[in-house]
Amino acid sequence: MDARITGRGTWLAIVVTGVYIFLIGPMAIVVLAALNAGDYLAFPPQGLSLRWFIRAAQTEPFVRSFLFSLKLAAWVTVASTLLGTAAALYVVRHSARFRNVLRLAILAPLQLPAILTGIALLIFFLATGIGTRGMRALFIGHTLVSLPYVFLTVSAVLAGFDRSLEEAARSLGAGPFTTFRRITLPLIQGGVISGALFAFITSFDQFPISLLLVSVGNSTLPIQLFDYLRFSFDPAAAAVSTVSVLMSVVIVLIVDRLVGLQAVSWGAQ
Amino acid sequence: MASTEGILRAGVRAAPRRGLPPWLLIAPTLLLLAVFFLVPYVNMVRMSLLVKPAVGAYEPEFTLANYARALLDPFHWRVMYRTFWLAGLTTALTLLIAYPVAYHLSYAPRRRRRWLLMLLISPLLVSLVVRGFAWMILLGRVGLVNLAVQRLTGHELVLIGTPTAIVIGLVHVYVPFMALAIAGALQNIPPDLIQAARSLGASPWAAFRRVVWPLSLPGVQAGTLLVFVLAVSSYVIPILLGASNVLVMPMLIVQTLLDAFNWPLGSALSMVFFGLTAAVVALYLRLLARGMPWTRA
Amino acid sequence: MSSITLRGLTKRFGAVAAVRELDLEIQEGELVTLLGPSGCGKTTTLRLIAGLEVPDAGEVLFSGRPVTALPPERRNVGIVFQNYALFPHMTVWQNVAFGLEMRRESPRLIRDRVAAILDRVQLHGLEHRYPRQLSGGQQQRVALARALVMNPAVLLLDEPLANLDARLREDMRFYIRQLQREVGITTVYVTHDQAEAMVLADRIALMRDGRLQQIGPPEEIYRRPTNAWVAEFVGLSNFIPGRVAGRENGLLVVRTAAGTFTCAGEAEAGRDVLICVRPEALRFDETHPNQLRGTVRERVYLGNLVDYRVEAPGGLQLRVQADPSRAVAPGRAVNLSFDPSAAWAVHAREA
Ligand SMILES: Nc1ncnc2c1ncn2[C@@H]1O[C@H](COP(=O)(O)OP(=O)(O)O)[C@@H](O)[C@H]1O
Ligand SMILES: [Mg+2]
Repeated sequence: MDARITGRGTWLAIVVTGVYIFLIGPMAIVVLAALNAGDYLAFPPQGLSLRWFIRAAQTEPFVRSFLFSLKLAAWVTVASTLLGTAAALYVVRHSARFRNVLRLAILAPLQLPAILTGIALLIFFLATGIGTRGMRALFIGHTLVSLPYVFLTVSAVLAGFDRSLEEAARSLGAGPFTTFRRITLPLIQGGVISGALFAFITSFDQFPISLLLVSVGNSTLPIQLFDYLRFSFDPAAAAVSTVSVLMSVVIVLIVDRLVGLQAVSWGAQ
Repeated sequence: MASTEGILRAGVRAAPRRGLPPWLLIAPTLLLLAVFFLVPYVNMVRMSLLVKPAVGAYEPEFTLANYARALLDPFHWRVMYRTFWLAGLTTALTLLIAYPVAYHLSYAPRRRRRWLLMLLISPLLVSLVVRGFAWMILLGRVGLVNLAVQRLTGHELVLIGTPTAIVIGLVHVYVPFMALAIAGALQNIPPDLIQAARSLGASPWAAFRRVVWPLSLPGVQAGTLLVFVLAVSSYVIPILLGASNVLVMPMLIVQTLLDAFNWPLGSALSMVFFGLTAAVVALYLRLLARGMPWTRA
Repeated sequence: MSSITLRGLTKRFGAVAAVRELDLEIQEGELVTLLGPSGCGKTTTLRLIAGLEVPDAGEVLFSGRPVTALPPERRNVGIVFQNYALFPHMTVWQNVAFGLEMRRESPRLIRDRVAAILDRVQLHGLEHRYPRQLSGGQQQRVALARALVMNPAVLLLDEPLANLDARLREDMRFYIRQLQREVGITTVYVTHDQAEAMVLADRIALMRDGRLQQIGPPEEIYRRPTNAWVAEFVGLSNFIPGRVAGRENGLLVVRTAAGTFTCAGEAEAGRDVLICVRPEALRFDETHPNQLRGTVRERVYLGNLVDYRVEAPGGLQLRVQADPSRAVAPGRAVNLSFDPSAAWAVHAREA
């Protein structure tokens, strides 16, 4: 539409630029702080160096919790991708009467405060003795809040899927499984991979649930960083944080490549 | 010809019967939700009604004492009030900041929109702890904001440890959510409507106020609800930026559970907090619905 | 009310030239339909007139006054969009009153005018409904009322009937025609449906690829198309290729593989032309001077008439539409004839 019709002015551009600076600026500051050569988190930085990255990489709790978080997030990603994709297939394809109820149920872990979910799980795990604190409990808690993202992205691509393609494959003699593998999956894989990436980052960054479910020695990176920040405040924390910033940028770029950010943005709330 | 078609159709229709029943697709997810979501929440409700003995976690004996304690302590109400006030303020500010962003995004040319979305979504994927940390760097004693203010005015401005810092941090976290929700609604407004308004003599501003704004209200509703619910239950940002000076409900609940080891009271506080949030949300939805009569008709 | 003048109007979207050097003159009170296939630039032309697009070159004048630089709200045009563009969050009444409110008319005047126009479009009693509680035809009339209540200088309609079912569409054609006559407003009506254009138009402006092909009253367009494309687009037409031999009694003499025919048209001797003959102008008898022989290949019953495919000498495939009372069986050899004044030669290379 012509700008003359919508009436977008320069004032809007100025305000919006300000907001984007507000959004991105702090992330940039973290990265800059991590590259600081000085001994303290101070501005302007006293020269650039990678010494704090090296320091962080030599700090045993950071390394251990980083590896732990990676492993946890990987398992959570596998589980939520399998479950979320299957659930989306069912809800979009096979549910009629209960579609809205099912959607609500699957998205409920996103709607309820994660901190309450964490508390409920903590009490439940301790009271029943089913799983104690640690990997298993974290895996379940994280999967609850990661699965909805896979469900949302896969539902979004399935909604625009032409079912006659599958019917054509079936009529040409492909069985249900072959049809899924050869036709359906290749066509929805963008949504599946995007969902998996969101699930991964959700688990990797997860805080409130982890806070309640971690045990000593089985800490995740965000929790480790949080604990660290309560007692010390130095560029090593910034170096660790930079990992999170970079990871989010990489994931955004990949998702944009795969399905386009537009496709996941409007539906994914 | 007709018979070939008939065979084809019969084949396709009969085929699903050969496979496994489709409900197997949803069964594992429902099982997960039932066992590890529904049951824990129900269990939490039960816990809130149990007796807390002097030693040990709980007694399997029912009481309303936890609710009495949760509701009658004026200290709880002060924390509750502060929590809702901060969340409300955060929501209002987020709306104010995110709306122009959403508007700009919705009417941006396709290619630019892609870049804008990247800028909007990347911070969304950065860990909350990291975002809190970023604001600790900015708002602390040796932070950029204080340095700048000191140089300009000679006074100190250390925001860390104040409600202001918490609100700044929360707004930063929730602007992308709000902007995406509103942009979603703006996308659904046919451009013809704006042009119709313009051709009927509306200035750009009048077209916005009378057509775009009311039609974006569903997005505003979705965004404000989401942000309010998230902000009310936020934990990391208040603890990092409030520097433990500013107590909000989630912190109080976690303290009661983990530090005081009082599960029944912590559960009761959770339920009260949850109930109040739901009540506020319901009231808000009521009021908004009155402003959108056309969605009811 | 105004006349509308378009001068050298051009609009590009990137590499696509949606409208090219368009010249058009529309009289006061006239209804002109812009007719052409989808994507030929009709909507863009309408939007240029409305001020919703800014032209790359050329001018728009209302009653001789240039309005090219004016934004849409200052042009005093009434627009009916294809999907009506009714404000979903306003009632019928609020939709219709919107423009008057924008003009800051007094509440009293608004009340009277809105009531009057709603009466006129027979929407009395539906004032407090929201658009989605209305049928398609009712929505259509709200859109008309919303545009007309402003007493606009010109009324612009973009395929206003495209979303209605066939029966309602027919009724609405006459309704709109009658309303336009009563109000007497200068109207530009965009459509891709030639029947609609025929019914409604004082003059039809035919567009193709952003260019004006022909403008004239429906009958002239139908009977005297300026080129083969127009003849083909408006109604069905047979084309008989041939070469002009000369003139005789104001008619062209054209030699073709199926014989020598006389027909109306303008072309020098030696020119390659196509003779356009409408299927209903061909008759199974020898009443007319232009005569040829053929063999019926196919016959399709269409209810009010029968559609034949006839093979004539030189591999010519002709369509003949005739009265069902006299059936001709496929395979039969027939004599055909047509009236010279019902045939019209156009230049061959423009086909
Ligand atoms: N806003 C636009 N951006 C890019 N191309 C456009 C735009 N509007 C129209 N076009 C192009 O201009 C040509 C004419 O479009 P239009 O005027 O809508 O045709 P019509 O109404 O006759 O179907 C088409 O090729 C169309 O794709
Ligand atoms: Mg069009």
